[in-house]
Amino acid sequence: MSPSNTNLLQGTLDVLILKVLALQPMHGLGISNRIAQVTSNTFVVKPGSLFPALHRMEEAGWLTSTWGESENNRRAKFYRLTAAGRRQLKQETDLWARISAAMARALKAT
Amino acid sequence: MLFWPKLNSLWRNLTERQKVEADLANEIRSYRELLEEQKIREGADPVTARREASIELGGAEKLKEEVRDVRRGAAFDVLGAELRQSLRGLRRNPSLTVLGTTMLSLGMGACIVVFSIFQSVLLKPLPFREANRLLTISETRVDRGIDHASFSEANFWDVRSYNHSFSEVGAYHYDEANLTGFGPAEKVVACEVSAGFFRTLGVSPVLGRDFSYDDDRGGFRNSVVMVGNKFWKTRFGGDPRVLGKTLRLNDKAYVVIGVLPPGEPWIDDQLYMPFGYRPDADRTSWEFQVMGRLKPGVTGEAAQADLAQIAASLAQSFPKEDKGIGFVFTPSSTWVASDTTRRALWVLLGAVTFLLLIACLNIANLLLARGTARMREIAVRTALGASRARLTRFVMMESLLLNGLGAAAGLFVAYLGIGLIQSVEIRGIPRLADAGLNTWVLAFAVFIALVTGVLSGLAPALQAPASGIAAALRDGDRQTSSRGQGRLRNVLVTGEVALSFLLLVGAGLLIRSFKELMTVDRGFHTENRLMFTVSMPGSYWEKGIGKQFLDRFFERLKTNPQVLAAGAVNQRPVEGGDPGMGIDTPQSSAPPPWAGWRIVTPGYFAAVGLPLVRGRLFDENDKPVWIPKDVPPYPRRVILSDRLAKQIFKNEDPIGKKVVLWKGQSSGLAEVVGVVGDSRERGLAENPTLTVYLPYGTNALTSEFVVHTRDNPLALVPTIRSLVGQLDPNLPISDVRSFDQVVYRSVAPQRLNAILLSIFSVLALLLATTGIYGVLSYSITRRTPEIGLRVALGATRSNILGMTIREGLRPALIGVLLGAIGAFWLSRYLATLLFGVKPFDAVTYLAVATLLLATAALACYIPGRRAIQTDPASALRIE
Repeated sequence: MSPSNTNLLQGTLDVLILKVLALQPMHGLGISNRIAQVTSNTFVVKPGSLFPALHRMEEAGWLTSTWGESENNRRAKFYRLTAAGRRQLKQETDLWARISAAMARALKAT
Repeated sequence: MLFWPKLNSLWRNLTERQKVEADLANEIRSYRELLEEQKIREGADPVTARREASIELGGAEKLKEEVRDVRRGAAFDVLGAELRQSLRGLRRNPSLTVLGTTMLSLGMGACIVVFSIFQSVLLKPLPFREANRLLTISETRVDRGIDHASFSEANFWDVRSYNHSFSEVGAYHYDEANLTGFGPAEKVVACEVSAGFFRTLGVSPVLGRDFSYDDDRGGFRNSVVMVGNKFWKTRFGGDPRVLGKTLRLNDKAYVVIGVLPPGEPWIDDQLYMPFGYRPDADRTSWEFQVMGRLKPGVTGEAAQADLAQIAASLAQSFPKEDKGIGFVFTPSSTWVASDTTRRALWVLLGAVTFLLLIACLNIANLLLARGTARMREIAVRTALGASRARLTRFVMMESLLLNGLGAAAGLFVAYLGIGLIQSVEIRGIPRLADAGLNTWVLAFAVFIALVTGVLSGLAPALQAPASGIAAALRDGDRQTSSRGQGRLRNVLVTGEVALSFLLLVGAGLLIRSFKELMTVDRGFHTENRLMFTVSMPGSYWEKGIGKQFLDRFFERLKTNPQVLAAGAVNQRPVEGGDPGMGIDTPQSSAPPPWAGWRIVTPGYFAAVGLPLVRGRLFDENDKPVWIPKDVPPYPRRVILSDRLAKQIFKNEDPIGKKVVLWKGQSSGLAEVVGVVGDSRERGLAENPTLTVYLPYGTNALTSEFVVHTRDNPLALVPTIRSLVGQLDPNLPISDVRSFDQVVYRSVAPQRLNAILLSIFSVLALLLATTGIYGVLSYSITRRTPEIGLRVALGATRSNILGMTIREGLRPALIGVLLGAIGAFWLSRYLATLLFGVKPFDAVTYLAVATLLLATAALACYIPGRRAIQTDPASALRIE
């Protein structure tokens, strides 16, 4: 199974986006690249998943967007975390920590 | 939390659609450019980079669609698109839309009319605080077969003092008074009420004060009066300075102390005076209506038990008057409409529900037929990826839209209908004038539109996507639909016929019963009779002024060539009250029969057309049975109605025999001088009453006049008015009507029911016929090739016609059978509304079955004829 085929668990993409944006505001391609980078290419986010996710999270009030200049002086839409987004990231991080610990224990057992 | 941004984005998505869309397009473009650049930086040549970027993006439109789906308010978009699509569908098919809307508007219009009356009569609350705690208390004498009677004055005071269940008990005594000082003398309703009456009802005056317990204390009549709101508005123009003014009633002055709020008609246009407590109050004449307000937490049963104890002690303390006394309650909900009216309205509501269901089935049928015709379109949509849910929703939406249109048109129909009913119906249906399209009724219209929309969309919606796509695409629009669908449509027709059968039987029974009611032997004769009321104040009872007026009036009237007979009575037949007494022979020890008593002038019997059966009528020598103390005793004489005479004297000749009047309360003997025919005094639907007639006189006056005229009785009214005016300008004339009108008005609920049900059943018949016709003509069209083949193979025209009619009649026949079973079961609820007709009336059932089958056959015949005219060659060529 190639890494890029790994299905994103429900909710995984949201946490990844939140996490990536926690460092600095980014545009869509930046987010996609960054996710690939931090997960060592385990997750490759295609625009077909990325765009709906970004818009959904923006509507949920976790992100805001502004038009700005990219590193190469191109106009691009930059997403930034809101306070609600930070809270959400905190919650999700805790949740993931619990889940992964539980999963690790469960799989190690027997 | 986060409510605001959500609302904000919803608002933006819905209102700034273009801006949002442009933003999304820009964002996608910018992403593509960035991606291309990145690829080039990674070493790809521009062409490859562009191609790879495009592949990765996977189509801008698809991407946009996916983003749109997550947007808030996306559901609105889909809904809007579907709504537009349905509207387009309806516009493309105007015949279906017009036909469907018309059918629905009739069904819904009828429903809304009945509901608006129903709402105003049965649902609108009484204008009294916590009306559910209010009830009427009646006396009973179960041993004498009296289960509802008014109160005697003394019993009221006792119940008021000794009960533990009611926070207030009030009584009123209906009375009328002559009002002078506002133009010509006028009869007004002036009730006497106990001081707590309005507190019992929970009504507080809008102006001035309520009666206090001082007003009815001390055994004297205080000359104060409270006025109803309408009375105040019409007579005083709503002037707040009315308080302290004086009203002259029966030539006595009363001071206005309060004005009541607007309310029920019977509380609005009246005057109220307090009646005082008297230790020697009468215990034998039942004239007081008593109402009680239950204390919080006290149940009806507990109050019943409480009053049973009072009844027991009353029976013990006053064995003569209160032997066998008991008390019953009637809830205040019956104050507006009698049980008959309530039941009649329920029956009507049931009837319109059936009618609406029929309309619903018809719409379902229409949509089904259209669904079949659109098989190819639906198949194409399915092939293009429309989901099953979406197609179902689409059909459902169409049905809802059609029903919405139907409801809107139905509201208009109802608006006209209510106006029409109100213009022909004045009395009989209480609160009818209040019925109209209010919020309740509008909500009801929306509700039925939704329910019928879902109901009539159900079958077509479920059928829509089920059919095989491939088959549909291959066969095209003309494909023969599945066997199952044909069966479904037949089931719908069966349902329509069965429901129509129910409606027609109901209407038939009510019409027959109404006819019976109008032709029943009334006893009296109503044609060419004028009735009017001349009420005389109490002072006319003294010194013979009243008797003098009566005598002079009849003497003058007799000279008029138009007048055949004239007389007067103290209670108007059919409309008036029914005071009664126990009456029997002195020897009898059985409980005496209870008979209504009437004071009459000698001419009364001829005037109302009651025949003399035996003996003689009254003459000038017969005097009132109430013998004044200062007059030497004279023989008392009475006339009995035929049934009463038979009940008292069995087969003996009653003439010259003695009876005891008010048996059980007094021992006054009277001689029977005559027996007259029975009459339906209490209304046509009631059995002939037992009546004892008493002669009029100085202290026994009559106010209800009956004049038998040669021609149109109402033409005599001006003559009567001027005659009364000449004799005594202080006496008001009121309630002028022909006897026919009196009777006509008394059967208003029955008539309204018969008329409305007839209209509804004609509509039902029409709808069912359209349904049968539609189904059959559709199936014939579909089978044209088959019929052509049959003809080509040698089937005769009558073979073909017979086949189509048989096919169409089968569901109708099953419908008739089911309808008959249903009607047999349901008509029991009609039983109490029927008069002279049994709920299972074979004639009605047969007539309805014949009518329905004949109409169904006709509906089959027309498409059948088209079928036999098919030219076999061309029919086969269609294939």
